[in-house]
Amino acid sequence: MSWSDLGTIAPVVLAVLAAAAVLVVDLAAPGHRAPAIAIALGGLALVALVIVSLAGHSQTAFGGAYVLDNLTSFLDLLFVAIAALTILFANDYLEPRGLPIAEFAAVLIFAVTGAMLIAGSADLLLLFVALELMVLPGYLLAGFARHDPYSTEGAIKYFLLGSFSSAILLFGLAYVWGLTGSTRVDVVAAALTTAAAKGSIQPGLALGLAFMTTGVAFKMAAVPFHYWTPDAYQGSPTPVTAYLSVGPKVGAFAIVLRLFVEALGPLKADWLPVVIVLAALTMTLGNLVAITQDNVKRMLAYSSIAHTGYILVGLAAYAGGQQSGIAAILFYGAAYTFMNMGAFAVITALQRRPGVTSQISTFAGLGRRDPWLGALMALFLLSLTGIPPLAGFWAKAYVIVAAVQAGGWLSALAVLAMLNAAAAAFYYLRVVVYMYMREPAEGMEVAKPGVLFRTGLAVTGIATLVFGLFPAILTVVNNAADVLKG
Amino acid sequence: MSGLPILSLITFLPVLGALLIVVLPAGNPNLVRRTALVTSLATWALSLVLLAWFALGPGGFQFKETADWIPSFGIQYKLGVDGLSVLMVVLTTTLSWVSILASFGPIKVRVKEYMISFLVLEVGMIGVFVALDLFLFYIFWELVLVPMYLIIGIWGGPNRIYATMKFVLYTLVGSLLMLVAILATAFTYESATGSWTGAFDYERLTQFAAAGSFGHDFQLLAFLALFLAFAIKVPMFPFHTWLPDAHTEAPTAGSVILAGVLLKLGAYGLIRFAVPLYPFAAHAFAWPIIVLSVVAIVYGAIVSIVQPDLKRLVAYSSVSHMGFVTLGIFVFTAAGLQGAILQMINHGLITGGLFLLVGVVYERTHDRSIEKMGGLAATMPLWSTVFGFFILASMGLPGLSGFVGEFLVFVGSFTYAPVIAVASIIVMVLVATYLLWMFQRVAFGAVSDFLRGLGDHLTDMSRIEFVTIAPLAALIVVFGLFPSLLLDFLRGPVQAFLAAAGVAVG
Repeated sequence: MSWSDLGTIAPVVLAVLAAAAVLVVDLAAPGHRAPAIAIALGGLALVALVIVSLAGHSQTAFGGAYVLDNLTSFLDLLFVAIAALTILFANDYLEPRGLPIAEFAAVLIFAVTGAMLIAGSADLLLLFVALELMVLPGYLLAGFARHDPYSTEGAIKYFLLGSFSSAILLFGLAYVWGLTGSTRVDVVAAALTTAAAKGSIQPGLALGLAFMTTGVAFKMAAVPFHYWTPDAYQGSPTPVTAYLSVGPKVGAFAIVLRLFVEALGPLKADWLPVVIVLAALTMTLGNLVAITQDNVKRMLAYSSIAHTGYILVGLAAYAGGQQSGIAAILFYGAAYTFMNMGAFAVITALQRRPGVTSQISTFAGLGRRDPWLGALMALFLLSLTGIPPLAGFWAKAYVIVAAVQAGGWLSALAVLAMLNAAAAAFYYLRVVVYMYMREPAEGMEVAKPGVLFRTGLAVTGIATLVFGLFPAILTVVNNAADVLKG
Repeated sequence: MSGLPILSLITFLPVLGALLIVVLPAGNPNLVRRTALVTSLATWALSLVLLAWFALGPGGFQFKETADWIPSFGIQYKLGVDGLSVLMVVLTTTLSWVSILASFGPIKVRVKEYMISFLVLEVGMIGVFVALDLFLFYIFWELVLVPMYLIIGIWGGPNRIYATMKFVLYTLVGSLLMLVAILATAFTYESATGSWTGAFDYERLTQFAAAGSFGHDFQLLAFLALFLAFAIKVPMFPFHTWLPDAHTEAPTAGSVILAGVLLKLGAYGLIRFAVPLYPFAAHAFAWPIIVLSVVAIVYGAIVSIVQPDLKRLVAYSSVSHMGFVTLGIFVFTAAGLQGAILQMINHGLITGGLFLLVGVVYERTHDRSIEKMGGLAATMPLWSTVFGFFILASMGLPGLSGFVGEFLVFVGSFTYAPVIAVASIIVMVLVATYLLWMFQRVAFGAVSDFLRGLGDHLTDMSRIEFVTIAPLAALIVVFGLFPSLLLDFLRGPVQAFLAAAGVAVG
């Protein structure tokens, strides 16, 4: 290790230090919430600053195992934003329930550090270690409300299926290593290009590909590997659900970009059909089941499965020969992060008083009980539906553009995606119906959220609007996507 | 004419009003109402200025405004009007202030939200008619959806939530397919020319289409997707089932706008986009569409006869009347298209008026079932006279505007295939049946027990109600006597349409 290596991974190192600092502060002043939150947010802000200052460079560290490029910077920033938003939203939920914030923030930042490492992985072994670093704290967070049996149940399901899928992924990686002789992404890609040029791929490689696809499909909650999602999402404390619905998902797509696009890119003709089927199944099933849900958290869990399907359409478009599919994935990830975290934040605000459920009836008359909260929720839901000119619309539009450009079966997939989007309107708008077209139930006053919480809501709301009105942010996304130009 | 961006002003003036209403106190509904009315009247006045400045002679688009929006995909903020869109804009702005005025009495709760929704709706509607970039068109098209969803869902009747969901889901299925078709069209253009520049530009795309550059297979698919979106909005049989529900549950002003403008969006889309961009497919599908149109004309009329609810009856009669529009478009004759466009405008005025009048009765009786009415001519003489006038107009009485449109469609379709013209003329008997029978049951005979029970509540039309309806009645007479006032505007668009559709212009 050299000093320049340390400079390259500075964001990751700083994130770990921030998490440690939170723990130290909590030891020094146990039970005090403000200092822990301040250190966590301050640390994340510092990390973000460092990421921005390093952005635009392209350098590797540790003999090429870690790479810092535009893609890494973009994803890192997104992960830091996810962590910061989660912390902003968490305290209002944890404090009334007597749950500690310092451990929460520290564990969360460790998880995000793992995600950041994934984004910069240029080595399959590092990729796997980073993945584990991301998901292990996730299990802890899912079970964070340890006196709540649902939280524990969700955490155990998440843990068992999560470890299982990690093992499957690792097994697949082993095959790739065995048949290409390296774990370095560029070496693997070069070896596979030679292999692919010979025509049919070896059976062992096909087997490895199958294992890796399964493993990653588990992580991103693609159908039929999604069964852990609804329970884990519904059982977890709501701010954790907000994090789980975006953090590990974007993380899983970071794996896809580094592993499937970069390392396994030469084999894309082989995995394209699988991705098409996965995308079609994922968005259709996710939407159909979401329609029948009466619990908004569970509904959003299924909707997040459906959104995985839309993102997979972007991946399929890439495999179908459209480079713009990558930018579409990245934009979708960013847009989805803000609108979905916003939607979960509104649920969190309603649940500020312990005992309030996330049943849809909780939302009755919200538009009148709390006009701002209602308007924001409507904004997030309309964006999730894909109504222009909000962020979610552009996210879908870019994915569809890429798929239509790729043509062939992908045009059919694009049409299916649009039909799905129309079906999804039903369950998103049902919440709007409850908020604006039903009378509020008695005694359902919303407790005023704190300053931090309102800041977080403002950020997500403004991002949903700004990404929609000024999709010029696409330039940033395009720069990040250019990294993966073959 | 000057460098004034008049189209942008007309389109976004209602936003200004809506923003103003946001900061007004909710406790003063009258101030909110007046602000909304003044905004919509100002928009109307501006649209009249546009009408006056519009040069009748040349074809093509006028008052064009262009700015880059998303350069990497060649998406522009591009506006412009031809004779067709200028008329539709004025129809929209007229019906908008009429509807807002008509909402003064009936809308008593959440007036602020209502007026904001209505003004945003107006932006979307005007935008659809002036957009010359396919993407921008799509954005405005979707913008219409949300406020209408709220208007039906919040201020509608007892079954409003079912109706509004049905309305949104039907429209959304169509519009999302339309989005795919628009993107595919732009991409086909991009791969043929090698650049995104102008890929969403309507004028460039029509030139591209006129050169026959869209492949036939592609045209069939893209046309179908676009057609489905527009057919749902028109609505054409068998995609019409959302309409009776939406109309019945919507508040009066919502029904007026729905019938007067929203249905026209679909017909406008067919004339402006679906046919000129994919002429081959338009001809290939012409016969099935004509058959569906005739079915809609006949079916709508027959179903209207048995409707027990006044609004539902008018809604089904809309299905029948809009059938003339699609028929007139797809016979590809000058007379047919002129008739179709006149019918669009007339239907907006007449059906809008009928919904207003039904609303007047509903305000007093809180009921719309025909069998409970009777003898309104005795208790509400002014209302009955006006209602009778609109019924005659809807029947297509010569001298009133409804006649001209339908007559031109007959002429147009006769030269195309006499059998369709004959089939649709027979319907006029059915139309007379359901309208006159309904009028007879509502207005004549002894005053029903139900109405008698209302006593003094059953007052005749108020002055404000008369003011809202008078302009529509006046326009119906004027356009009935002088249809050339409208036809002069349509010369350019009709020629352009026929040329794009590949029909020799005689």
